[in-house]
Amino acid sequence: MESLITAAARALEAGDPLGALNRVALRNDAPSLALRGIAMAQLGDLAKAKTLLRSAARAFGPREAVARARCVVAEAEIALVSRDLSWPAKSLAAARATLASHGDLANAAYAGHIEARRLLLLGRIDEAERTLAAISAVPLAPASLVVRDLVVAGIAIRRLKTRDARAALDRAGKAALQARIPALVAEVDSANLILNTPAARLIARGSEHPLLLGEVERLATSTALVVDTFHHVVRRQGTAVSLGTRPVLFALARLLAQAWPADVSREALISGAFQARHVDESHRARLRVEIGRLRTQLKPLAEISATRQGFELAPRKTRDVIVLARPVEEKHAAVLAILADGEPWSSSALALALQMSARSVQRALEELARSNKVQSFGHGRARRWMTPPVPGFPTGLLLPGPLLKA
Amino acid sequence: MKRSAAEIVREYGPFPGVEAVHGVSYDGAQVWFASGDKLSAVDPDSGKVARSLDIAAHAGTAFDGRHLFQIAEDRIQKIDAASGAIVSTIPAPGGGGDSGLAWAEGSLWVGQYRERKIHQVDPDTGRILRTIESKRFVTGVTWVDGELWHGTWEGDDSDIRRIDPETGKVLEQLDMPAGTMVSGLESDGGDRLFCGGGASGKVRAVRRPKRS
Repeated sequence: MESLITAAARALEAGDPLGALNRVALRNDAPSLALRGIAMAQLGDLAKAKTLLRSAARAFGPREAVARARCVVAEAEIALVSRDLSWPAKSLAAARATLASHGDLANAAYAGHIEARRLLLLGRIDEAERTLAAISAVPLAPASLVVRDLVVAGIAIRRLKTRDARAALDRAGKAALQARIPALVAEVDSANLILNTPAARLIARGSEHPLLLGEVERLATSTALVVDTFHHVVRRQGTAVSLGTRPVLFALARLLAQAWPADVSREALISGAFQARHVDESHRARLRVEIGRLRTQLKPLAEISATRQGFELAPRKTRDVIVLARPVEEKHAAVLAILADGEPWSSSALALALQMSARSVQRALEELARSNKVQSFGHGRARRWMTPPVPGFPTGLLLPGPLLKA
Repeated sequence: MKRSAAEIVREYGPFPGVEAVHGVSYDGAQVWFASGDKLSAVDPDSGKVARSLDIAAHAGTAFDGRHLFQIAEDRIQKIDAASGAIVSTIPAPGGGGDSGLAWAEGSLWVGQYRERKIHQVDPDTGRILRTIESKRFVTGVTWVDGELWHGTWEGDDSDIRRIDPETGKVLEQLDMPAGTMVSGLESDGGDRLFCGGGASGKVRAVRRPKRS
């Protein structure tokens, strides 16, 4: 290849984006555009990086399919880091196939990891796992190993498999030290934090205490009747009743479970589940109907009996009832939970990930912003949201050197 | 034009610590190759690295009988082959877009990759004496028995071709197997052409066809 391109690519690989820019700053041929794009990405100017990589992909000739595919992969990673989840996944898949068919297995694997990260962010855990499993086993550079194990850990955390998550994070930590990229080491540290910070609250018999992820996992094997506010499910071991599409029924179930073994008054159930300010006769009628529906739903797990002042829960085949709740409950807990990854999100990406309407997400974000719980930057379509405690702009952008090699 | 498949007679490497081969040369006994921050000499019989110089080496390499020439960034370094010291430096004609390098007839010949050109350069001043246009991206360049050969690498294909030094017309073409890249070229003066193998980290010897 060319002399200055080689020199610039080596500078990038050594973690010196300014050194790379110095060598190709004034050149507009395809490889220079690609190198400038990656350097700008490493310096945090993602918008500029995207433009440069796109021009590079156009500038490579029709015979340079591999070089073009590498640009597409780099652009996909930038889109991922910018939480632009609407970015066409098809182009990434096509680029991945091109790389694989031309024998660039390391970059093909890298493209696969980006695909898996995108699915993980979208909450499509099974697909993420399948994508990861389908990546052919090639020797990977340490930086790529870190990315892979972070995805593995992410999947394990979402599945509440703490031991798998810890093992993956240990591997990621070792590889990050080997790669000698400080941003990667920090990324693994912050992932470790998730395992050591309360992930949930346990409410049982009127008292509550915080739970680490590992404790939540152990809970899954307990024989208690669990009202799970993460998944809007009531379950006991293998038996589960999903109330995800019945928010009122779930709210009633939760109120009854929190008070158990005591009963709950009609007034408390009505104001808690219907958000009614004044309780009147029509509410009482509605409560009877909803309790009847809940009774039908919960039949395999519990009975609901009427008491003098209200209702009480009577679990079957167990002597224990617990409620699993988010560590801090807020009105827009789901939005905050996603923003807790510290990355900037667009409202449309949040809507995709939460399966909510764009308008509801927008309203939630505006409300959270008024109480300083989230902040935004950029305008219009480029607007991004993140939670304030994260300093600066932590990017997971790793774009490995081999992207430009050959 | 004669066209045939390149016959690879031997492969060297990959060598430990070498990510990619950017240029090759031959000093009459050893094959030199550039690998980014090192210039190494391989014994063509044993295939072992005999010597390494810590020198910036980003593209083509050439040998004039006493000195090695090595492209680094946008300049050409002249190196005393015995001591490894850099004797002098001239600007590279492609301003950093340079790839292959050869020494012949008292001149340096420099391939300018994406411009598809070969420049004849005064080795003392770096002045361009003349320019030959090629049809393909030019990597390595070499002269042997009055024949001008160069490597091409465009997209995912590489070949080695002999061109008319006056007109640039292709006289003969050896197609490399799919996925085999030519990142540097040097003749041993006989029937072997040494080719840098790019990111494969290898050096390959290809048979030079006999003149009939």
